[in-house]
Amino acid sequence: MSVAVVLLALLGSVWLLAVVEGWTTTGRLRLTAPLLSGVAHLGRESIVPRTPDRLFFEAAPVLLLVVAVLAAAVLPLAPTLVIADMATGALFVNAALAYVLVALIMAGWGPNGAYAMIGGWRFLGQLIAYAMLIVMPITGVAMRAESLVTTVIVNSQDSVWNIVYQPLGLVLFIIAAMALAFRAPFDLPVAGGELGGGVDAEYTGVRLAVLRLARLTLVVTLALATTVFYLGGWHGPLLPPWAWSLIKTLAVAVSMLLAGRYLPRIREADLMRWCWTLGIPLALLNIIVVGILVLVVP
Amino acid sequence: MYAQAFFVAVFGLAAIGFGVWVFRTSSMVRSALALLFSQTAVGCMFLAMQTEFLGVLQIMMMATEMSIMAIFMVMFMMDPGGMGGMDMTHQKRFSIGAGVVAAGVAIAVAVLADWAPVSAEAPAAAMQTRELGRELLGRSMMIFETAGITILTAMIAATAAAIPVQTPAHSDEKENPE
Amino acid sequence: MTSAQPITTKGSRQKQPRFAVLQAWVSRALARDLSCLIIPGPEVALAYGLDVTAAGMCSSATPRDATVLLIIGELSEQMDEAAAVLYAQMPRPRTILMLGGKTPPSLPDADVSADLSQKALTDAVERLQGLLAEGAFATYPEDFDASVLHVKIEYVCPMHPDVVRDEPGSCPKCGMDLVAQEAGKATSGHDHEHHEHHEHHEQDSPQSHEHHHGQGHQHGQAHEQGHPQGHANHKTGTDYTCPMHPEVSQDEPGRCPECGMDLVPREAGEVTPGHNHERPGHGHNEPESPQDHTNNKTGTDYTCPMHPEVSQDEPGRCPECGMDLEPREGSENGASGNNHDHGEHNHSGHGHDEHSHAGHEHGGHSHGGHEHGGHSHGGHEHDHGASGFMSMIEVTKDLPRSADGLAMDWIEVPFGPVFPGLPGGLKLMLTLDGDGVIEGNATSLVGMTNGDNDTEEMNAEAFVERLALATPLAPVSYRLLACLAIERAAGLADNPGTGRASALERERIASHLGWLALLGRQLGFTWLTQRASALQLDLRCASQKRLAALEPALRTLTARLGRTPLLKARLKGIGRLPADTPGLRGPVALAAGDAWARLWQRLDEIRTSLDFIRTNGEPELPGLRITDQASGRGEATVDTPRGQARLSLTLQSGRVTSYRLDTACSHHIGLVAELVEGQELGDALVAVGSLDLSPWEVMS
Repeated sequence: MSVAVVLLALLGSVWLLAVVEGWTTTGRLRLTAPLLSGVAHLGRESIVPRTPDRLFFEAAPVLLLVVAVLAAAVLPLAPTLVIADMATGALFVNAALAYVLVALIMAGWGPNGAYAMIGGWRFLGQLIAYAMLIVMPITGVAMRAESLVTTVIVNSQDSVWNIVYQPLGLVLFIIAAMALAFRAPFDLPVAGGELGGGVDAEYTGVRLAVLRLARLTLVVTLALATTVFYLGGWHGPLLPPWAWSLIKTLAVAVSMLLAGRYLPRIREADLMRWCWTLGIPLALLNIIVVGILVLVVP
Repeated sequence: MYAQAFFVAVFGLAAIGFGVWVFRTSSMVRSALALLFSQTAVGCMFLAMQTEFLGVLQIMMMATEMSIMAIFMVMFMMDPGGMGGMDMTHQKRFSIGAGVVAAGVAIAVAVLADWAPVSAEAPAAAMQTRELGRELLGRSMMIFETAGITILTAMIAATAAAIPVQTPAHSDEKENPE
Repeated sequence: MTSAQPITTKGSRQKQPRFAVLQAWVSRALARDLSCLIIPGPEVALAYGLDVTAAGMCSSATPRDATVLLIIGELSEQMDEAAAVLYAQMPRPRTILMLGGKTPPSLPDADVSADLSQKALTDAVERLQGLLAEGAFATYPEDFDASVLHVKIEYVCPMHPDVVRDEPGSCPKCGMDLVAQEAGKATSGHDHEHHEHHEHHEQDSPQSHEHHHGQGHQHGQAHEQGHPQGHANHKTGTDYTCPMHPEVSQDEPGRCPECGMDLVPREAGEVTPGHNHERPGHGHNEPESPQDHTNNKTGTDYTCPMHPEVSQDEPGRCPECGMDLEPREGSENGASGNNHDHGEHNHSGHGHDEHSHAGHEHGGHSHGGHEHGGHSHGGHEHDHGASGFMSMIEVTKDLPRSADGLAMDWIEVPFGPVFPGLPGGLKLMLTLDGDGVIEGNATSLVGMTNGDNDTEEMNAEAFVERLALATPLAPVSYRLLACLAIERAAGLADNPGTGRASALERERIASHLGWLALLGRQLGFTWLTQRASALQLDLRCASQKRLAALEPALRTLTARLGRTPLLKARLKGIGRLPADTPGLRGPVALAAGDAWARLWQRLDEIRTSLDFIRTNGEPELPGLRITDQASGRGEATVDTPRGQARLSLTLQSGRVTSYRLDTACSHHIGLVAELVEGQELGDALVAVGSLDLSPWEVMS
């Protein structure tokens, strides 16, 4: 039951995101556009490039979709509305999302194309920048909740949301999440103006449809993670818990999507430098501050 | 119980299968990813054995570690695609010997060790996590810290050794490889 | 449908009777989800005042994602070929929409043709939607074929690049099996360019294409070379050779007749360095051909900067890529990674048995690790070569290196002529090492030629039109330039009115906005692209009053760019040009700095141009004053948006007989090589973009 509900919620959010995305690019608000686009992709030829690494080429979009859904599986929409309330939920999110990178390496390597390959390796470099900034803020969250269970994490924010308790962690987590979802301005592996689509470049038809679905699902999953870890999850007045979760998630997802419109793509070297010289010290500072707060404030 | 044994066996065989694939392909990229999936299967074995934290940790760490390995591979390998039909094996006689000896030792330990009586019920996952944390911050802290620092040192040293000495004029342009 | 002939699109997909209903449904979805790839590029569409989005299509960055190939205007021959390749890359069902001109010869006839205007475009898109809804799937889809798509496969010897055959076989020089590769692709390790033609992948037999992944080629070859047809004919026994002159060989110790050094012992089979042990009869002691010895000689040999395995005594061209060979020190860093170690082995003269020597030879060129650790390897006697431990440091140590000091295979990747973020018609070839650019150069596929040779006379009016048409990104400037030159040739005094100057300034603003849109596309800065495009469309034909009304919007845009985070970090220090670089003109010269300075120079120019128009009156398109039957020579200079352009022409009784045009972009395009060298890929592209090259204004 909760499996179906969560999947439906994911799908609905993805649809809404696609509508917003279409709205910003064409200036027309068409609710049916994502569906039409999906059907049109089914009608298009799905080309396999010459001399591909066929296994990687085929597996990559599917793997990306699977890990995005798996990560969402441990994130609660409501106290009981969670597919798997694991004892190591916060860590599992990380574990699943680590395979985004694997999927991208496969997608970059598989088609035997220069643009795709550079895109794939670029994301590998990007991992070195953002990876610590995903894990370390979550550490702060788990410290406060004294648990890795996602529902306990939400309950720990009963009185004060983590956005107030550890705002630094939120900022770092959102930046890292955008880098992980390779949305603009961190879209180095797909960079339109630099790599002509990068890892997306050789996918067409059904495979492209899966890839796009996976990318949007990833954004929703990360927005849901942000909601659960920092925005008090389902907590909120009046509306039912699941509604609050969805509203917060969509708000985060849409702002992630829109932020990229107003920023130029970051330089790879800058991303690396800032993450390591600024991001990691700040993340450590966040952990220390949270540690002090946990010990001092009852 | 049987289901558990079944899944442990399936993931164990998958781990072995991917492990064999590591050496059966000539593409370094495939080899690295096969190794990754072999380790992921080991992580799944942990999960099947109800050691949730270790399993998830293994699955997470291996994705990142193998990717880091892939970076080094791309930096230093000339043939990641395996076009040249490169053989992943070398020093065959020695490795076979070493493999047989290691397997013998492992089996001997498994057979001869005095395993404590089987506990009827594994502790709850959250409990395991807590106990593991206490263990890591207690008795085993030194071991883990030493291992971690050693690995880091080895990676940095290997990189430093592999990059040829450059003239000072160029060295300032270089980013830290990490 | 009334006609008996069913409506189909040219690029329709196979109809499946079983799924007819489903396919009809999908067709309608396809018709409502149009995305187009614009040829030559979106900036040309903007310059013509076409708004693709308003017409109901999305603009797509890649052919993989496009349903419509939107061709604007006549294409040059090279662009025609590029368009054919792009069309072939588009997934079926695909359509061609041709605006203002007739379909280029390489492509099938356009599904819909229309004039070059926004209204015609909107109508055409509607017709196209109808066509797609009906005919996206056809019972007999047409094949698409063009000569440019045919990949010629040739067979070359991995050892002897000069051996090229049309058929598979073995090399007449060394007997190795020939390896298939695409003709003309001998050099790059990566055969998959953007210009991949997917429809041919079936035809190419699997073995005809090696798996040319990015890094892989060089080692792959070295490795193949490492498996010759057996080493059994190595002679046992020791001979003596000179460490300096390996061709010297005798049975007894002694001195070298050439240099007087003491001879050192070596294995008889080891006469030759590197590769030639694969040659038949390699075990003999006779001196081998000089080519094989070069690497052991001290002194200079010549090698290709791209292909270190190429080595010869004399200067010349690389047999693989045709580049000029460069001298290098023979014994120092001399030989390529493939055979460098041999010299050392030869003089040190270890008394190994035959097998380990064979191993050494392999170690030398493909598994350099033998030098250090090879001896202790227990199992390598029988399957040396294949299983020798590969030390990548050894293998790569003599390969050319990029700035980061890591050796990787280099791949040559084309960017353009239709690439998001670069002006359409500009083709940038970059040699990449990872994502670092080793070298690059830019060429224009749509450039103009100088009419020096009286090839085609034309009357003055036609000349003005032609020049304006040939430069779609700055038609007013070149129209003005032509008018001025002709008028001066005819002896008319310059027009004192300022309307022409205002029109020029208006075009400068529009052109700079077009550049900003392109910058936005390159940087993924969507807001900038949309804002600048909208302003450009609004402003390109605006009156003085309208321009005054737009002024606040332009100021806001400028202010906004100043506040945009990451933008400065992205542009500062990129594409730096010293102020004394020869050939700089226009904003590139005035800014004299990096991409960031050029951005602000252009934003400043927008402001000054607005001020100019405000004080100098209504813009007025330059028209040619009557010059009938006049003759003479005239020269004019106009400060186009991209810098000064100079035109000198000869007029004979009202006809232009010869002209010479000198444009800023002709000079700027030459700067590309210097700007991209050693840069990270993204930075290199930003640097090229910051020049605001218009390939149309490049003189060839």
